[in-house]
Amino acid sequence: MATDEIGLVVRDLTVAYSGVPAVRGIDLDVPAGHAIGLIGPNGAGKSSALLAIMGAVPHGGSVQVNGEAVDGLAPERVVRRGVSLVPEGRHVFAGLSVKDNLRLGAVGRRSSDGVAETLDYVVTLFPILAEFRDRQAGLLSGGQQQQLAIGRALMADPDILMLDEPSLGLSPTAVDSVFDALATIREAGKAVLVVEQRAEFTVAFCERTHVLHDGVITMTLKPEDATNVQVLTEAYFG
Amino acid sequence: MKERSLLWRLGPLWSLVVLLVIVYAVTVVTSYLGDSVQVQFQYALVNLVIVVALYMFIGTSGVLSFGHVAFVALGAWTVGLLTIEPELKRNLLSDMFPVLFDIQAPWFLAIFIGGLVGGLLALIVAPVLMRLNGLQAGIATFALLLVVGQVLTYWSSIGPRSGQSMVGIPDVLDLQTTMFFALGAIVVAWLFQRSRPARLLRAAREDGIAAAASGINVVTQRVIALALSGLIAGIAGGLFALTNRVVQASLLGIELTFITLAMLVLGGMLSLSGAVIGGLVFSLIDLVLVRLQNGVELGSYVVSIPQGTRPIILGAILVLMLIFRPSGLTGGREIVWPFRRTPPLPGVPPTNE
Amino acid sequence: MNQLIQSLVDAISAGATLGLAALAIGLVFGVIRLANFAQGEIITASAYSIIFTWQLGWYVAIPIAILIGVILSLLMEVGVFSRMRMATPATLLVASFGLSFLLQRVYELFFGNNVRTAPVAPELAQSLEIGGIRVQLLSVATIIIAAVILVALVQFLNRSIWGLQLQAAAADFRIARLVGIPASRVIGLSFALSGILAAAVAFVSTVKTGAVGPPFGVPIVILALIGAVIGGIDKIYGALAGGFLVGFATSMLASWLPSDMSNFRDAYVFLLVIIVLIFRPSGLLVRGGTVRT
Repeated sequence: MATDEIGLVVRDLTVAYSGVPAVRGIDLDVPAGHAIGLIGPNGAGKSSALLAIMGAVPHGGSVQVNGEAVDGLAPERVVRRGVSLVPEGRHVFAGLSVKDNLRLGAVGRRSSDGVAETLDYVVTLFPILAEFRDRQAGLLSGGQQQQLAIGRALMADPDILMLDEPSLGLSPTAVDSVFDALATIREAGKAVLVVEQRAEFTVAFCERTHVLHDGVITMTLKPEDATNVQVLTEAYFG
Repeated sequence: MKERSLLWRLGPLWSLVVLLVIVYAVTVVTSYLGDSVQVQFQYALVNLVIVVALYMFIGTSGVLSFGHVAFVALGAWTVGLLTIEPELKRNLLSDMFPVLFDIQAPWFLAIFIGGLVGGLLALIVAPVLMRLNGLQAGIATFALLLVVGQVLTYWSSIGPRSGQSMVGIPDVLDLQTTMFFALGAIVVAWLFQRSRPARLLRAAREDGIAAAASGINVVTQRVIALALSGLIAGIAGGLFALTNRVVQASLLGIELTFITLAMLVLGGMLSLSGAVIGGLVFSLIDLVLVRLQNGVELGSYVVSIPQGTRPIILGAILVLMLIFRPSGLTGGREIVWPFRRTPPLPGVPPTNE
Repeated sequence: MNQLIQSLVDAISAGATLGLAALAIGLVFGVIRLANFAQGEIITASAYSIIFTWQLGWYVAIPIAILIGVILSLLMEVGVFSRMRMATPATLLVASFGLSFLLQRVYELFFGNNVRTAPVAPELAQSLEIGGIRVQLLSVATIIIAAVILVALVQFLNRSIWGLQLQAAAADFRIARLVGIPASRVIGLSFALSGILAAAVAFVSTVKTGAVGPPFGVPIVILALIGAVIGGIDKIYGALAGGFLVGFATSMLASWLPSDMSNFRDAYVFLLVIIVLIFRPSGLLVRGGTVRT
């Protein structure tokens, strides 16, 4: 598989719930080593898009992972193809320990080789996960749970990492460390797709950030637009 | 707004008329098919009344009830006590409260008293049970069924000793009268379906949060629905007592609950047409299966199915319906006036509203 | 005093049996929201198997009973419930009700309406003297068997990767799939475990009664189901505790109710269940919140 084929390619994605459209045909390209952002107000369809890519909701259009179509596959199969989702609200398995949460993340791996290496990598990225390895996940703070959720997703050794509103409910410091970690992940060659409500961080961080409004992409921003208030306002309220 | 034609306005009435005609026609046909078919069909009509009562509650509120046969049992019990000769009661049901020996009523009246007793129990338990939803409602109503079953089986002060039955109920109920009761139950259900409590319940069923936000007190509406459906179920119990002429708690328990629920599922839980169609189709299939078990002559061949497969087939029908067509034969829709032009709203099944 | 200890031991034993049965129901419910009324028929099938094969020796009869329980359980999942993933819990309950009815009639067809008997582990049907107090050996054995199974199950759930997947799926099925946990296999696992538990319940019950008929499992599953619901069917240990409670209460009532009220023992238990459901719809052990039904 050629290196430039690694990544996520989405064409004309549509999602509808009981006839009510949530996503009306969007295209996304998330190559390896890049971060792509998807921002927009509530109800714009961002979460729906991610769930559709994972196969958790029915959708129209095509989704390709590393050059192969994953349409119609069940979520657990999509994970095995190399995509991991960090869901909105983190959703760690609160009753289980940090260590067990990470163990479970590895269940979706393509190959059972290299689990120890991945665990090392995750722990280097998020040292508190080693410190709290035996603690019940539900007892962690919001920021720590976010780190655990990302770590759990990374345990599946994905080529593509998708995050649904990682900054939700986090303090500014916690958000900083999350995006620092994402930078490292991007540098390691993964493809990153970040969905966020907050514009500034995302636009500054990602090579391209698409603005999703009412199910369609209305504009695409570059990092230099992050400080341009006019562009941002238009993106958000336009 | 388009002028609503008279024909269009009569639409909802059409579905009622169709159902009444179907029940009448099938009854007439069976009356020509010999005594044993007539007897079986009389039981079928009794079950039909139970299914209609079930629909009145489950179909509007969307809440599962496993307990309706408790109301049926009370109705049957009442009619039994009121129609058996006092002397017979004194001899056979000797442990009863003495006052129960002497109470008597004409059978026609007794049926309605049975209905009232059923409705009364429903009214009593409803305020507490109707707060529950889903699975808990199912379990709680099931527990109600079991409690009533236990009480009727063992409390010999109000009936026979355990293991014994109430016998001696007079043979006064014929097929035609049963049919009229069934038709009456369908009419009552149809009227209820169009009443305000039913509309509110259906709204709450579709979107509970919106309904609550609109100020609908769901519990009150459910109480009304349960009480009314308990009344009809009680009447069905009275009909059962007069048809079977023997009343025993074991006949009015889990198995009857299963059969009537299966009929409702088969026809479609969400519509009156579903209840009626389901009841009729199930009973007709059952009739055929009984014939097949005894052997049917087709030309020079005798076709038969082994003994004991009849309930298996009936059970399989229920399970298969739930897997492949959970909305039932009617899909939860009423029998619609065929000449209606306006299409139904998207996502909303046509219900002649 | 002697009688009190004896009735307590019996009650704990009854609670343990029903707790296992309720646990089986809770395991499956936790994953796919199915309160399986047909669990009773799995117990009956294992029981029939024990009755028919006991003379071949316990080391043959018990594994076969476990195998039968697991196979029938998986057949139910593959044949019926796997095709009803979108159904509401109430609908699933009705389907399991229908399946239960169906299977009882099948047993009637194949084994007849009358009970089949065999002396199963007659060595257990005697009393022991412990510290000057007489107790039923079977009750003690039941408690030990239940305890062993429970410990094994807890170890499995907490240590093995499959047990963890089951816990995760029971906690949040949607997220578990998104993380990569294979849904069908976990569901199959829960059914298989409930089949094993059914065999255990069948064993203790057949030793007690020595007779099996088509409706063998029905009274067990009724009590187990309502026990699971009042304990909090949503949580695995909730179902266990609820089942234990109902079994314990039923047994104590049977021992201590004056004879003219003893017929109504079950009625009291059912009334209690209704009362608990009214005040605590989510179950006794669940802290606040509502069960997703």
